[in-house]
Amino acid sequence: MKPIYLDYAATTPVREEVRKAMEPLLSDEFGNPSSRHRWGRAATARLEEARERSAAALGVAPPEVLFIRGGTESDNLAILGRAAVWSARGDEPLVVVSAIEHRAVLEAAESVARSGGECVVVGVGRDGALDEDALRTALERQPAVVSMMWVNNEVGLMLPVVEVAEMAHAAGVVFHTDAVQAVGKVPVRLGDTEIDLATVTGHKIYGPKGTGLLVVRRGTEVAPRVFGGGQEQSLRPGTEDVAGAVGMSVAVELATREAEFEAKRLTTLRRQLEESLVAELGSITVHGAEAKRAPHILSIGIPQADQEVMLAGLDLEGIAVSGGSACDSGAVVKSHVLLAMYGDDARGATVRFSLGHGTTADHIHAAAAATVAVVRRAEAAASP
Amino acid sequence: MTGRILVAMSGGVDSSVAAALLVEQGYDVVGVTMKTFCYSEKAGPSKTCCGLDGIMDAQRVAGTLGIPHYVFDVEEAFTRDVIDDFVEEYANGRTPNPCVRCNSNTKFKDLLARGRVLGCDGIASGHYVRIEHGNGASALFRGADHNKDQSYFLWGLPGDMLPLLRFPLGDLTKSQVRSRAHELGLATADKPESQEICFVPTGDYRDLLEKRLAPTHPALEPGPIVDLDGRVLGQHNGYAGYTIGQRKRLGGGFPEPMFVVAVHADTREVVVGPSGACFSDGVDVGELNWHGAAPGEGREIQVQIRYRAKPVSATVVRCGDPLRLMFAEPQRAVTPGQSAVVYERERLLGGGRILVSV
Repeated sequence: MKPIYLDYAATTPVREEVRKAMEPLLSDEFGNPSSRHRWGRAATARLEEARERSAAALGVAPPEVLFIRGGTESDNLAILGRAAVWSARGDEPLVVVSAIEHRAVLEAAESVARSGGECVVVGVGRDGALDEDALRTALERQPAVVSMMWVNNEVGLMLPVVEVAEMAHAAGVVFHTDAVQAVGKVPVRLGDTEIDLATVTGHKIYGPKGTGLLVVRRGTEVAPRVFGGGQEQSLRPGTEDVAGAVGMSVAVELATREAEFEAKRLTTLRRQLEESLVAELGSITVHGAEAKRAPHILSIGIPQADQEVMLAGLDLEGIAVSGGSACDSGAVVKSHVLLAMYGDDARGATVRFSLGHGTTADHIHAAAAATVAVVRRAEAAASP
Repeated sequence: MTGRILVAMSGGVDSSVAAALLVEQGYDVVGVTMKTFCYSEKAGPSKTCCGLDGIMDAQRVAGTLGIPHYVFDVEEAFTRDVIDDFVEEYANGRTPNPCVRCNSNTKFKDLLARGRVLGCDGIASGHYVRIEHGNGASALFRGADHNKDQSYFLWGLPGDMLPLLRFPLGDLTKSQVRSRAHELGLATADKPESQEICFVPTGDYRDLLEKRLAPTHPALEPGPIVDLDGRVLGQHNGYAGYTIGQRKRLGGGFPEPMFVVAVHADTREVVVGPSGACFSDGVDVGELNWHGAAPGEGREIQVQIRYRAKPVSATVVRCGDPLRLMFAEPQRAVTPGQSAVVYERERLLGGGRILVSV
């Protein structure tokens, strides 16, 4: 049996168009954009084309796109770079984040709190509703930045980022969104919104790993956190990864172009998976069932099953999925996202299916059948 | 038997070779490493095979063998079944046997439950022990390498689990295992043996007791050292630091070396006496487990009262729980809390925990 990859929210393969666009940059066109000779000029041209392509796809102006190495760096720059603006003025920075952010945002926000600033975490209910009172109170305190993710990576939950950006602006506050899981699945036209800062990464949208960008809308001040040459408006100094930027830009362009079609297709497939699992396994919880969710992610809770054993069982059945989120060196850490949404009700195993380009209806049938089989064995093992 | 089998991989050379042999035998092998307790952030020198480098090494070996490998966190059960028991035994003035507890519970029972979810038909490990499967019944025997034999640790396995177990190293010697590991190019071929208790890598368990009991627990408080007549000879630093048969150096010049004869948790007394006082004629054994039928009254068996002790002939003088065994010749340092493991020649019959010497 051929293994089935249902972990597209973890990472994706590099698509053919992206690979082709990158190839010349890895061989003949290897120049450093800072060089003044023809190799340098050619590299600059490719880099700026990539910037234009990405900007057009996201509905912003080219100078508003900064190529950053990956989503984590981009999130960090948004949070820490905004906090640094406050610190430079001698103010103690306050950052506001939702409780279900990626760790790249949460850890950055906590580091601000550790170094003399403050971090306010806004709760999110199981229906996806933000604690609006907490948000309003926090906005009144003029935070350096509010950061909320567009699509949550663990559950697929969608936060009302466009509305929150408007609320933030009404209060004169800068708003950042981690749009890593949103691009290619939901319409992301940043120019039509009041979002000031947005993080995108290449490897979730069939681009190369280690690539990313931060959109910084005109007039939004961000202080550098890495120092060196003047590249990327001094916000991400270091010789540019031109090949990565080109690959990323093609990936962003294709992902946004195909988003509407792909969203419909993936929503249908995800619903099929969800419905067959719920029909067969009455005891499971569909995380975020009452909330607005992205097309490609289905997270289920299986009571009385062990997380790691479930994942191993599915892997042996040829189904590649994730738990709630990655864990390190064998230690299972309870998902902060599920804790925020479900509190102590978040028990048992969590399995996240995430769908993508390669996913077919056959894959969905096979994944459902395998999951049912493994859960049945887990139930049998739990009741001797 | 073929089919899918789960092999417990500690990251040591033995379980690495066990996995390799099962692959050669045509099994669909699934490697699993159990994470049994919380490793400190600061990695110390790699003394044991169960730590984080154990996980890494097991992963490397699984990669070489081309088998899937998973890490299962069993910390909660391990803490409850092994570490809590370890601490409680010392608090009660007894000397625990954590490796037996782990093998009786965590290593096989907990793993088997997980293996079932993975669709495994059996469980294997790198123990030096032989298993024979007859029709309907299975029996464990000492490993062919008597220096490495680990059957002692397996007396607590439920008898009905035996048919599911495989021990590929049972007929091999340690040096054969090492050379197989070299032939196969396994990363763990030259890894040193683990000697200490895995959750006490320094060998000093007092730290652990202080953390898990209050530092002011009676077991860790000073108390009297007394002789066989109850005369106080000095002070000790907490009775949890003593085990039967241990030599005790006392100031003041005693004519002969003194040894710990008993530990009384209720009075916090550590009783010492001359070497001769450490011998006993028999033992009462509780928490019994038999792989087949329990040996009847009058039956002659061999009993092993410590991992490294020689088996000694003994007679069952009282069946039931507690079981009473009388030794063919007096045995030194029969220690409450340790295992009394019962054999009939090479065959492991079962065993129990030593309650008291008689």
